[in-house]
Amino acid sequence: MKQDAPYHILRVGTAITFLWIGVLILREPEFWGGFLSPWAADLLPVPLTQAMLGTAVLDIVIGFLLLIDVFVWVAALLASIHLGIVLATTGINAVTVRDIGLLAGTIALFWGGLPRDIRLRIKHWRHKQPPSAPPPAS
Amino acid sequence: MTAFALLFTLSAIGIAETAYLIRERRAGEQPVCPIGGGCHEVLESQYNRTFWIHNDILGFLFYVSMAMLTGLTVAGIGPVFFWMVIAVAQVTGAFVMSAYFFFLQWRVIKAWCFWCLMSAATVAGMVLVFALDRLTSLQTL
Repeated sequence: MKQDAPYHILRVGTAITFLWIGVLILREPEFWGGFLSPWAADLLPVPLTQAMLGTAVLDIVIGFLLLIDVFVWVAALLASIHLGIVLATTGINAVTVRDIGLLAGTIALFWGGLPRDIRLRIKHWRHKQPPSAPPPAS
Repeated sequence: MTAFALLFTLSAIGIAETAYLIRERRAGEQPVCPIGGGCHEVLESQYNRTFWIHNDILGFLFYVSMAMLTGLTVAGIGPVFFWMVIAVAQVTGAFVMSAYFFFLQWRVIKAWCFWCLMSAATVAGMVLVFALDRLTSLQTL
């Protein structure tokens, strides 16, 4: 779908953020794992370092898809879910407060990048809902 | 670290730009030319390939490789010094190519392509980052 310049600026900016954070996590997985709340770390089925390396790879894949403008809505959906989990498992602090803005950006990219047929289906589904009250008979 | 972040950012901008040009070409559409109107003239000219490969593909490969080299250097994976030597060599080559394409647009085709100029500016930015990084490391000696 053809998009306007603001969409592409947001897409490339978000892509760079995800790619770079992926590289930084690859560099120091233990440091970034330190942001995780202890209760969340206990829930992990794999060691923390491995989980963080997996996160780094996911971030890089998301960033690359956003950058080359392929499956943007899938990448943005994954990014939104990922950021939601980050906010839930680390809490909102001086660092993660910025993730609120990133989350809003990825949701906007998801909606903007959604294929036309899926968007129409959602619209159609919405219109199928029964009206709240019938008009009074005269 | 700042230099690598800047190089990585410039590489990512280059990837996005060349991926767009490749997509439009493969779809048989003309790319949007935000400033000026010579994009079509330049991109469809006889100079749009180097060694039988489209320039947008060569650019894409260059930027992906630069992003990977910078990323590997920052992450400390593999022979870091070797990655940086390759990166410097690549940027030097890309700068020469950009200067050649600039000359072609100016004197031969006589039309300016926004995307080609943006790519040239991206490569020039990379040279500047390398130069400033070298300068600051020399000053700290």
